[in-house]
Amino acid sequence: MTEIKRKKLDSATVISIVIVLALYVAVFVAEQFIPATSMLFTVIKKGATYALVAVSMNLLNGFTGIFSLGQAGFMLIGAYVYGIFTIPVISRMDVYQYYNGGLVQFTLPVFVAMLLSGLAAAFLALLIGLPVLRLKSDYLAIATLGFAEIIRALFQWDKLGPITNGSNMLRLFPNFNDFNIRNADGQVVVYLSTLVPLLIAGVCIFVIILLINSTYGRALRAIKDDEIAAEAMGIRLASHKRLAFCISSFFAGVGGAMLAMYQTTVQAKSFTTAMTYEILLIVVIGGIGSVTGSCLSSFLFVACSEWWLRFLDQKQVIGDFEVPLLRNGFRLVVFSIIIMIVVLFFRQGIMGRKELPDLIRQLQGKKVKGGASK
Amino acid sequence: MSENVLHIDHLTMRFGGVVAVNDLSMDINRGEIVALIGPNGAGKTTAFNMVTGVYTPTSGKITLMGQDITGRRPDEITKLGIARTFQNIRLFSSMTVFENVLTARHLRRTSNFLSATFRLNAAEEKRMRQETEALLKEVGLYELRDEMATSLPYGKQRLLEIARALSTQPKVLLLDEPAAGMNPQETEELGAFIKLIKDKFDLTVFLIEHHMNLVMDISDRIYVIDFGKQIAQGTPSEVQNDPAVIAAYLGVDEEEEVSPA
Ligand SMILES: Nc1ncnc2c1ncn2[C@@H]1O[C@H](COP(=O)(O)OP(=O)(O)O)[C@@H](O)[C@H]1O
Ligand SMILES: [Mg+2]
Repeated sequence: MTEIKRKKLDSATVISIVIVLALYVAVFVAEQFIPATSMLFTVIKKGATYALVAVSMNLLNGFTGIFSLGQAGFMLIGAYVYGIFTIPVISRMDVYQYYNGGLVQFTLPVFVAMLLSGLAAAFLALLIGLPVLRLKSDYLAIATLGFAEIIRALFQWDKLGPITNGSNMLRLFPNFNDFNIRNADGQVVVYLSTLVPLLIAGVCIFVIILLINSTYGRALRAIKDDEIAAEAMGIRLASHKRLAFCISSFFAGVGGAMLAMYQTTVQAKSFTTAMTYEILLIVVIGGIGSVTGSCLSSFLFVACSEWWLRFLDQKQVIGDFEVPLLRNGFRLVVFSIIIMIVVLFFRQGIMGRKELPDLIRQLQGKKVKGGASK
Repeated sequence: MSENVLHIDHLTMRFGGVVAVNDLSMDINRGEIVALIGPNGAGKTTAFNMVTGVYTPTSGKITLMGQDITGRRPDEITKLGIARTFQNIRLFSSMTVFENVLTARHLRRTSNFLSATFRLNAAEEKRMRQETEALLKEVGLYELRDEMATSLPYGKQRLLEIARALSTQPKVLLLDEPAAGMNPQETEELGAFIKLIKDKFDLTVFLIEHHMNLVMDISDRIYVIDFGKQIAQGTPSEVQNDPAVIAAYLGVDEEEEVSPA
């Protein structure tokens, strides 16, 4: 985070980079040996997707101080743009069965489509940013929430069916499994279906980290700390807020494309306010203003909700004893309680405002600047 | 004749029924230190807020070096060369001393967000950092550069606010009660410091201050306002002996004054 006289990267930063790279290698190796159906990979894929969206939300809420709740809306746009432009032409008749194969009759490469997902979301952010960013905190949150709902309704609108497929789902577009390298017989030679999403999220988050640590990132933090002082130091509030809003939305859009690939289908009705709240919780649990925190808590959150706490939803019988309470839906109760405890008693979240290099510096016994204080 | 830098022409600011500043006119020339004094609630900070674009005056005109800046945005005005400090300190609380000053260089950037993100502006960033270090050395905050801004003692925080304002490379520096909360020794040092930076950075200084010793010591000219209206102006000795000023301050013990928000 804060680096002064950054002639070279300090050792803590280098160690952090090595740790992250080692994790990537570990995932790659694990993917080759552990069956692809393992829950571990599901968690990593969805975790990576959520991590990107959470960090993009943190850029706004944690670093710029703009309390926006439009994340699901921008993800929806990203997911749809990805789906619409990557469904193979031969499959379009199947997918758009009620709309005569749909309007779009070409296919873009996966990464071009993902980029387009981000750009579409950013463009929409630019449009709604003009009126919305003038609003103050609560009103801004409500307006962005409303925007996301409108988008959700719009994409299900029958009249847009030739493009969006109306209330029917988009499917048959390339998903994470298509990143696996197969031989002529269709057998997988190298598994990449987990590594690639993790790489995409990693690159995007790295770019966000670069932004945060640039002169623009400092300007955004200044706005969060004190708008009046920031403006008095010559930082134009409107343009910087709009910039943060567009960049955040860009990455939410890319995250939406990743979610589409993860789910293998896209349907507007699933991009609910609840999804935005999930992302918000991840940000809060990780620590508002910590990229590391958002990443860690994404994986924890997804692991808990998809894997570790699943048993709570099933009847458990130990010997003759049927454990009480355990039944469908109980997982969500426990989950909510955990979240309440975090929000009530650990408001700093896991990381406060610290990042991975700060933790290492602490271990090295160095003084940490800008750590979790207050 | 000295060159006019800041010209305030019949400025009035009304908040509902309250007339905070009433038909105020001032002239500040290049290289001067001009003080604006008056009892609490007289409208001094409001005058600053109009000059720096925080408020748009109800009527009147503000001219910076011949250019009309009335009602312009604060960031535009800062870019044009007016920097300020705040009566109630407003440092960037999540940042270190160094970052506070560095952030105030942002407005002189030539990079855009893409070139800055992808480090194509490395030379500029390096220069900004070096200039910030140099500035911190000049104001004597270099040793504290890695401290969190808000962890500094009060007097140092006021100094840091001045350093941050200087970092925007202003022509006119507006100081709103820079000695508030300082002890007598710090106040005296502050006076010398203001004169020093004025010469070093070729500044024109416009200050609001309650510590009369400091005001009388460093000001070339003084404007006195009460209830938003000018009641006197002149050199320190002229103002000191002005009956209207004495009347306005009568019964107001300067040390007892509580700073309004
Ligand atoms: N934003 C505002 N809204 C309403 N009244 C204000 C506002 N700002 C200042 N005032 C009023 O204007 C008057 C002058 O305030 P101020 O300029 O802060 O005085 P000073 O700095 O001389 O102590 C006070 O009566 C204050 O209450
Ligand atoms: Mg005041």
